[in-house]
Amino acid sequence: MAEPGPAPAASDRLVLKNGSGHHYVKLRLEFQDGGMRLNAAHFKQLILSALKELHGEVGAALPVDVLTYEEKTLSAILRVPSSGLVKLWSALTLLGSYQNRKCAFRVIQTSPFLLALSGNSRELLLD
Amino acid sequence: RAALRCRYLLCEIVSEDPRCRQCIDERAVGAAAKDAVARTHGDYGLACCSISFTVKYLNAYTGIVLLRCRKDFYRLLWSALPFVTYLENRNQRYSCFFNTLHVGGTIRTCQKFLVQYNRKQLLLLLHNCTSEGKQLLHSYILKGALLHMDFVLCCMMHVFHFS
Repeated sequence: MAEPGPAPAASDRLVLKNGSGHHYVKLRLEFQDGGMRLNAAHFKQLILSALKELHGEVGAALPVDVLTYEEKTLSAILRVPSSGLVKLWSALTLLGSYQNRKCAFRVIQTSPFLLALSGNSRELLLD
Repeated sequence: RAALRCRYLLCEIVSEDPRCRQCIDERAVGAAAKDAVARTHGDYGLACCSISFTVKYLNAYTGIVLLRCRKDFYRLLWSALPFVTYLENRNQRYSCFFNTLHVGGTIRTCQKFLVQYNRKQLLLLLHNCTSEGKQLLHSYILKGALLHMDFVLCCMMHVFHFS
């Protein structure tokens, strides 16, 4: 005689429509040979050229904002409308070189909320 | 199992230069459309629209062109067509623009639309015809030369240019 299993829990599905409308992307630009310096304008130009190559004029017209940029570590936080996240991320992934030097964008974190990018539980130090 | 669905874009090539007509052929039109898609939507757009992309029908005299592409990407092609500014053939460039008349799921719906459209165009052209032009047209009709709708339209436009 098999025991009747626990009654299946009634589940509700909650769908949260993202109200913020923007996605924030924390990323870093890595060069294969290292030692390359870009200022903020060049950095933005690189992102736009990647978008233009993969997604054309429509992609380059995407309102991407560079919120913070650190020239030493070549890391930045970008803001992009949620509808354009896929275009931006795919364009960054497929960018291979800058001025004939091999490079790659490493997306560290992305979130619809900027506060979520302030901390990274992987690098959390517990004293 | 889903069948391979396509969308057919019926367009009209409008140009001020009458020599543009001799430039209209499948290769030039296809190349112009693809170039516009590459500029507007990049490598991704070009690759998407190039799947099953062909120029299905072309009439150089009336400038009517039927383009085919996949149903999933017809919007990419449709939005890129206004960015065509010239046709190039044998190193000759003629400025023109594409006017999209109809988007259909099959060739038959586009054909039906084209027949209706041609009828309306005929009425408009006849309205703008001078008496000399009308005489010329009557002579054509009497000779029994006007049987096919396209040919009728070509003759009308020919007559219109003369009057």
